[in-house]
Formats: sequence, structure tokens, C-alpha cells
Amino acid sequence: MTALFDDYDPGGPRFFDEVFGPTGEVRPHYRELVARLRSFTPQDLDRREVIRDRIFRSQGITFTVYGDASGPDSADEGVERTFPMDLLPRIIPVDEWATVEQGVAQRVTALNRFLDDLYVGEQAAVNDGVVPRWLLHTADGFRREAFGIPVPHAARCLVSGVDLVRDVDGTYRVLEDNLRNPSGISYVLENRAAMTRVLPVAFAQQRVRPVDHYGPSLLRALREVAPPAAGEHPTAVVLTPGQFNSAYFEHAFLARQMGIELVEGRDLVVDEHVVYMRTTRGLQRVDVIYRRIDDDFLDPVVFRPDSALGVPGLLSAARVGNVTIANAVGNGVADDKAVYAFVPDLIRYYLGEDPVLPNVDTYLLWEREQREAVLARLHELVVKPVAASGGYGMLIGPHASDQEIAIFRDRIEADPRGYIAQEVVSLSRHPTLVGEGFEGRHVDLRPFAIAGETVEVIPGGLTRVALRKGSLVVNSSQGGGSKDTWVLDGQPTGA
Amino acid sequence: MRLDVRYTTRFEYAAPVVESQNELRACPASDHRQQLVHYDVTTTPSSRVSWYVDYWGTRVDAFGVRGPHQLLEVVASATVETSAVDRPETSLPRAAVEDVGFRDRYHELLERSAHVDWGPAVTAAAHRHAAAAGDDVLEVVMAVHEGAADLAYAPGETYVGVSVEEVLAAGGGVCQDFAHLAVAMYRCLGIPARYVSGYFFTRDDATGADVEVHGHGGVEAEVEVETHAWVEVAVPVEEHGHRRERWLALDPTNRQPVGERHVTIGRGRDYDDVAPLRGAFSGPAEHELSVSVRMRRLAREPLGGVPGSGTSPQHQQQAQQQQ
Amino acid sequence: MLARLAENLFWAGRYVERAEDATRMVDVTYHTLLESTSGEIEASWTQLLEVLHLRAAYGERPIEPVPVIEFLVLDRDNPNSIVTSILRARENARSVRELISSELWASINDLHLGLGARDLRQELAEQPYELFGMIRRACMGIYGVASETMPRDDAWRFMALGRVLERAEMTCRLIDVRHQQLEKLAGPTGRLPSGGERARGTDRADFHDWVAVLKSASAFEAYRRRYRASMDPADVVEFLLLEPDLPRSVVFCLSSAMHQLGVLSHGAPSRAARTLGRVTASLQYRDVGELFELGLHDFLEQVQHRVGEVAEAVADEFFRHHPGGSMQAVATT
Repeated sequence: MTALFDDYDPGGPRFFDEVFGPTGEVRPHYRELVARLRSFTPQDLDRREVIRDRIFRSQGITFTVYGDASGPDSADEGVERTFPMDLLPRIIPVDEWATVEQGVAQRVTALNRFLDDLYVGEQAAVNDGVVPRWLLHTADGFRREAFGIPVPHAARCLVSGVDLVRDVDGTYRVLEDNLRNPSGISYVLENRAAMTRVLPVAFAQQRVRPVDHYGPSLLRALREVAPPAAGEHPTAVVLTPGQFNSAYFEHAFLARQMGIELVEGRDLVVDEHVVYMRTTRGLQRVDVIYRRIDDDFLDPVVFRPDSALGVPGLLSAARVGNVTIANAVGNGVADDKAVYAFVPDLIRYYLGEDPVLPNVDTYLLWEREQREAVLARLHELVVKPVAASGGYGMLIGPHASDQEIAIFRDRIEADPRGYIAQEVVSLSRHPTLVGEGFEGRHVDLRPFAIAGETVEVIPGGLTRVALRKGSLVVNSSQGGGSKDTWVLDGQPTGA
Repeated sequence: MRLDVRYTTRFEYAAPVVESQNELRACPASDHRQQLVHYDVTTTPSSRVSWYVDYWGTRVDAFGVRGPHQLLEVVASATVETSAVDRPETSLPRAAVEDVGFRDRYHELLERSAHVDWGPAVTAAAHRHAAAAGDDVLEVVMAVHEGAADLAYAPGETYVGVSVEEVLAAGGGVCQDFAHLAVAMYRCLGIPARYVSGYFFTRDDATGADVEVHGHGGVEAEVEVETHAWVEVAVPVEEHGHRRERWLALDPTNRQPVGERHVTIGRGRDYDDVAPLRGAFSGPAEHELSVSVRMRRLAREPLGGVPGSGTSPQHQQQAQQQQ
Repeated sequence: MLARLAENLFWAGRYVERAEDATRMVDVTYHTLLESTSGEIEASWTQLLEVLHLRAAYGERPIEPVPVIEFLVLDRDNPNSIVTSILRARENARSVRELISSELWASINDLHLGLGARDLRQELAEQPYELFGMIRRACMGIYGVASETMPRDDAWRFMALGRVLERAEMTCRLIDVRHQQLEKLAGPTGRLPSGGERARGTDRADFHDWVAVLKSASAFEAYRRRYRASMDPADVVEFLLLEPDLPRSVVFCLSSAMHQLGVLSHGAPSRAARTLGRVTASLQYRDVGELFELGLHDFLEQVQHRVGEVAEAVADEFFRHHPGGSMQAVATT
């Protein structure tokens, strides 16, 4: 009954394997789980996969993929997919988690300080030359319309989903900060709920930190950032673009978790700079909006006039201090991948601390020396457009053809501000059920942080898996799957 | 010069509409060249107007009308005291605009923007004007100004969607086109330039001629004008041994420097940053929008209450409370 | 509750009912026509299309059982096909997932996914009875789940209101499908001539029709208990329209709607309730013979029209706190 792991290749020195150490031994925090799995027959696994699939499908836990012409009714409607959860959870030991938690909280704290200073403060980091002014002005997410709009406690990144990867020696590095509308928390909670039913015994044997307080924590933070005038019991809502949005399931899920209304733009109306929702019994005042709509669609008076998703007058209401918009408008400036390169400096500048979690080594291409060095070794590097997310539009040098490299060379030379280059991080691997047995697949980790009066990081987060063999792209829109992520409470006991 | 301005926007809808929300940029700025004495905004149907100062320093009045209405009228009334300012007589040589600190500081005003997106023809024209000038930045600035002013004033022939390349090719346009073209030529020469919206006190938009004084006591007839646009350019100078910039305001439409008869509302990269009115409403799309600007020159009076709109102690008090 | 969600609940209720009742009507038409001539077949399907207000949408296609049934059951371009109704029920339910029980969502979703996974065209060709039965049972199952898992809150009431108003309309249409046969045979009084005058052949076929109509409203057994072996059209119509204790009768549906509206409006003056009260009163205490004299088809159309007015009034009162028109942007240029 040991067949499940017999053929497993931990990847040798090329990759860090989450479960197996360099000499093939099971890492201590995985021992109980692996021992349990070794007692499984392939039929046991099949049965659990069936249970899992039934849970996910009947709950309608899906996201919509657009622009994938493979389905019969794809073109306009998009294709509904489940985000497949692998049966084998990812486990993070308590000491390792302490570092991640501290590092993520530090990063979010510094970014909140930076953004608040930029939009309603003195712009100290800019004036002191920590980050170039022109760089911010040319960042895609920079919003002049956000100047002067206050957010209590400077909690501009109320929810962040900081993407971490582990390099070949297991060091956690920050890949992206995702300060606008990070999604995926619903999978964290649903994966956990499903996992307790799929592997109840394994789950019960270990002390796994709970995640189901996410909803109450988010609601608490939303109420903490309500305008002072809102009183004791502020009304918060979740604002969604609507059910055709790929993350709609999550929007509905979060509203349900918090017990608050899920509204669309057309449900809200502004009257005398106060936001109301339209109910069957008339208008009801709204104090805080957890919006999952992009900045440009929030308010057609100020942003895109053709937005049908937004609420005319919303920014004016926020500016007056009658409503708080979370996440704040304009956070995207810090999601720019070139601005990302300055985050370690911003941590030092605003907090006077060294960064706990390092960045991935990043090259800024408008600087001639860096650019030339990068162009000389494009086949060894990753190149990303500064404004893109979701893993789109990247060049992965080691996997790219000469032609692709030539295309990116031209693009970089034409628009050096538009791209960054990074050293390839060979992303740690984790055994993942593929067909009949386990194979190593690359994973990342997106812990979620909630900032209100203080910053709280939810234990674990979303582990995304690149299901295609050898792929480094873990995004849900590009064939990624997920794993339940366990943070163990206490040291492993050994098995 | 003390000027009264009355800016009126009327929306007439084909059928009743609801939930109109708007932002107005019509308030004269207070700066080194002009001082706002009085300002108020009223709307019909009435609404609660809230104002803020935007990223570019322009006052924005925000208001909404929720209930059904078929007509929306917005009246902004201002009294403003303007002056002419000295312009720099010399400046640094052209190389000064290459300074890294200078470029970083004015980066936003050197980049292309939606309405200031030049192509080869505008670039060539700018360099032709510059080549004919001396090495002093100020001379280049004036040469480009003269070049832009060579366009023919052609009211009603263009709209804001026209590109600067099209304006140059057409050889004419309205004040917005003159301003966008001039801004484009400055920027492609590396000279920071911004688009300015405002009011211009004239009896003739085409010539920019002054209004004659009638009657006594400084009371003059109102003139109907249009909103106007011009240009401000950052000129590097050396004063008392220090490098700094002087903003030079020029009106290419009327081929003149900006003076007492110009009332600045706001500045930005181009028209979009200072558009007088933006809004949204719910209902059938069909509507007519009309804009009128009426101006009147008042006698300059010492402090202490004079007859005439906007300058009574009561008005001044109101103005203070509102700001 | 958000006005938009109330509206979606209302429509989720309506669409499930619409799917179920359309299934009943297609089923009854299909099975009563098995032994008919081609002329009767064309007339009957034409009539069904007309009763469902789909004759124009069907267009120039031939009126033959296969294309008509496919149009009514699985055509995604037909806004009122059974598959479309279930899709819309599901889309509406999806938007109100936080207001309905997860079991209710799952039962609607399962029906939608289940239909998507079947080869409907082949099933219609080979064994439509099974398919129709499955859809009917699934729709009834949805109500069962709703009834057992939903608190009796406003969400429940808007859904229930949508359902009974739809059912009232659809029961009218169900009778209307056979109104020509009913009127032809029954004459102006709605009563059949005495037994001796009836031609034997039509008798059997007619009996078959009444049974089918009653069965399609799940009312056959109840009818038999009430009227024994008698099979007068007037009795059938009276039973389906006016029987206060029959869950699919129009009067029953309207009374139920009256109750939901009363609670929803909290005793406040309500135009919807007044409109509903008037249409209910026009049915109650009505002598069924009168209906045949007035013209059954016209009367049924009138009731449907009034129920439509009630739905409009409900929309005005509870859903239209948002403006009807689209949002327009304006800017000076």
C-alpha cells in the first residue's frame, strides 16, 4: 500500500519540495499526513475525489473564464469552472508561519502608510526621493481623483492578498501585493469546509488553525473604517459588478459570511452626498462599501463615463466623509510591478525596519545599465508588463522561443517603463494528485491580510497549484488548482 | 481689474430624468495673479452643493438632483480681482530643460495626454519654430506661441475630440485647439506646459478686443463671452544665483500674454482635467446642453463696501463662510 | 431587502412555475394527440403556441410535433422554452443565493445542470414522458425544498408571490389550451347534452381530453372524489378556476397571493393588493355557466391580463425604487 508515493520524484536540487527533504525523507510537519495517506488504496482516493467533486459542484463553487473558446457556449457567456482542490493539503509549520505572518503584516502596514501619505498626506516618501514621483505618475493604478479622500486608520488596503513563492532554498519571497481586489478567500474557506469532510480523520489528528473567522474579521474591519458620523452600528455592503463577473461567487459568499447585503451599482443611489441602497421599503443609508469593482467603474461622474456598474456621485460622498470605500481608490499605484520594486525601501522608510520577506530580484528597465544587462540574458529571466495581473502577458525566458524573446526585446526597447524583469524563481513543488498517483507541481501561497485599526493575517491562505506539468503559472484563469492550506498550531509531534 | 462672472449651464431633457449627479469646474482660482472675492453656485431644482479642491488645485462643486426633472440649470456667480504680472525678461538656455530634477518635477506636464498626443507634423512644426529662435528658453517659448497663434480662429468648427495633428493640418480651430496645440509643441520640445481654462473679458472672441467703458461709476454693460483656454509654460530662470521656474501664461488664440482680462479657473494636462461640467443621469439620453458666460467689469473700489453685486460686506461674509 | 433581489426572488418563483406548467401543457398536448389526425395535430400545437403567446416567436417553421416540442422544450432562443425558464430561474436564484437556503439553490442548480447533461433531443424523440415527468417532479421538489428549508420571511414571500401569480396565469392557459374542444362540445351552457345524444366515438376521445387536462393540473383524483364519474366541461372548468381548496385553481392562487401581499405591505395601502382584490372578486361567486356564455377564451384572457396588472403593481410598489431608464453620461465639450 505504499504505491502512492513510490514513484514520486521530489525534484532533487532543482526545486524545493514542500513535503520531502533533500534526501527523500518526509519533513516533520507532513509525517502524520503522509503516514495516513500511505494507508490509502487508489480506490480510497477515488472515493474522496468523488465526494469532493460533489461538494463543490452542488454548492456552485465556480468561477467564470472568459475568452476561452473551447466551450460550446463560451464566447460571450464565459465558461463556468470549478477551481479544483487537490486532495493533499499544504502544511505550514508554526514557526515558518510566524515569519510569513509578520512579513505580510509589515508589508501591508508600510503600504497603507505610503498610500495614505500619497493621497491625503505630505508625500514624504516622494519628496525624500524614496520612490520617484514620475514613476507614480505613470503607474496604471495612480488615481488623481483619489486625492483628498480620507480613509479612517489609513486602512487603504483593507484586504490584501500578498502572493508569496518559495525559491530553491525554501525562502519565502513576495511576488505581488494585490492591493486592489484580491480574490480567492472564498476558496480558502470552502476548501477548508470540504477538506474536513474529505479527510476528516487526517484533519482531526492535527491541530490546524481555523480560518472561518475571516467573515467576522472582515466585517469588524469594515465597521472600523466607517466614517465617524456613521454612529455605533454602521451599515456595510459588498459591491459587486454582478453575477457575470468571474469572482461573483466570492462576492456573494463574503456577503453571506458577513451577513450583509450584496449590492450592485444600480442598487445604490446618492442623494445630497449620502449613499443609500434601494430596498423594498425605501432607501436605506450605507456607511461602508466593500467594493469588488475596479476604480474606473466606480463613479461615471469622475471615472469612465460609460460605466454602467458604478454609482454616480459615489466619490463625492466619500470625499465629504459620508461613506468609506474599501479598498481605497488608487491603491493600484502600489500594484505596479515597478513600484513593487521599491516596497522594501518603503518599509525601511515608513517603519524603520528591515523587510521580513524579501522581494524577488527585480530589474528596472528604464535604467540603461539594468536594461542592457537584462536584454543580454532574456532567456534566463522572467519579463512582466508592469500593469498586468493574472499571469497574462509574461515572458518566461527559459521556456520561450527565440521569436518570443525577440518580441519582448522590441517591447522593452520601445517602452522600458512598461516592463520589469525578474530572476526566475523556480517555485517550490508539492505532491499533487495527478491521475493515479502523486506528482510534484509548482505552488505559491496567497495569505490574506485584513487591515482595520490593526492588521490581521488569516492563517494559511490560498495555495495555488500549477496543474500542468512543469508550468509556473498558478493563476485560476490559466489552469491552476488549489490546496487547502493548514497552519499547524504547535510543533509536529512526529509519527 | 474687478470682474463679475456669471456662468450658466442648462440641461433640457426630452423627457423627465432622475438621479442626476454632476461636478462643476467654474470657480475662478485664487493665486498670485487673481483673488476671488465672491463665489456661489445655485441650481434649479435646488440641491446641496459640496465643494473640494482637486488634484490640480481647481475648486470643484459637486451636486445632485434625485427627483424627476426635465430642466437643470446651474448658475455659478463669481467676483474676482485680477492683475497683470511681470513676465520674465530672460531665462536660462535651452539645455536647462534637460535637467533631471526639472524633468522629474514636471514629468506630468511633459508627457502626452488624451488631447495632447502629438505626431510627426506637430513635432516638426515645434522644432521649426524653435530653430528660428535663439538659444534662450524664453525665446523658444515665444516663437512657439507666435507659431500657434498663426492658426485661424474658426469658431464652431471643431470639438474637443479633435487631435492636435488634425488641428495643425486644418490650420484653424477654437481656443481649445490653439491651447492643445501649443501645449503639445512645448511638451515635445521638453518644456513643461499646462492647459488652462478660464474666462476672457472681451467683446470679440476672435480678436480678443477689449470692452469699452460706458457710463459712469465704473458700471458697464454685461458682455456675453465663451469659456476660454490658454497655456502656461514653466520657464527655467536664474534669480539671485538660484535656479527656479517662472510660469509664463500665454494666450495663443489672441496672440497675447495673459493679462488682467483673463480669469483663470483651473489648470491641468489638457481639457479633460478642467472640463467645466461632467455628470450622469438616469433616463432617456436625449437632451440639450447650453452654456452661457456673462461678464462685467466693476470699478476697483477701496475696501469698505461699494454698491454692486458681490462686494457688499454681507456678500464678503458669505464668501468667507463658504470657503 | 434590496428591491432588486426581491424582484429576482419573485422571478425565480415565476420561472420555476413557468417551466413546470409549460411542461404540463406540452405533456398533455403531446399525449392527447397520439391517436389524432394530422389536421388535429397541427391545430392543437398551433393553439398551444398561441396560448403561450409564442406563435409569432415560432415563426414560419412547420407546425409538426417534433419541431414544436423542441421549440417549447429545449430551444435556447425561445425566451419561454422550458430550458430557458429553468436557466432564468437559476440565474435569478443565483443572484439571491444569500437569501435562499443552500438546499434550495442546490435543487435549482441540479435541475439546470441535470438538463444540460442530458441529450434532450433524443429523449424527446424516444421517451418524452420520462423527461416531462422528471422536470415536473424536479420543479415540485424545488417547492418542497423551499417550503421545508426557508423561513417565512420576505424572501420566501416574494418567491411564493411570483409562483402563485404565475400559476394563476398558467392554469388559465392550461384550460385555454382545450377551450375550443370544451366549447365545441359543451355548447353555450357548458353542460353536455344528455348521454343519448352523444356520438360514441367523440365521447371516448373527449373523456380522454378532460382527464388529461385534469391530470396535467394534478387535479384528476381530487376531481373524481368531488364529482364522481361525471365529466362535464363546466365542472372541469369550475374545478380548475374556482375551487378554493385546489392548490392549482386560479382562485386558490389568487387568495394565496392576497395573503402574501398583505404581509409584505404590512397593512399599508397597496395598489397591488387592491388590483388583486378586484380580480379575485371577479372570480369568486361566479357561476361557471356564465363564463361559457361570455366566451371562455375571452374570460381567461381577461383574467390573465388582470393578473399581469397585479404583477405590474407589485413591481411598482416593491421593485421600482430604481429608475427605469439607463444611465447617461454628460459633459461640456
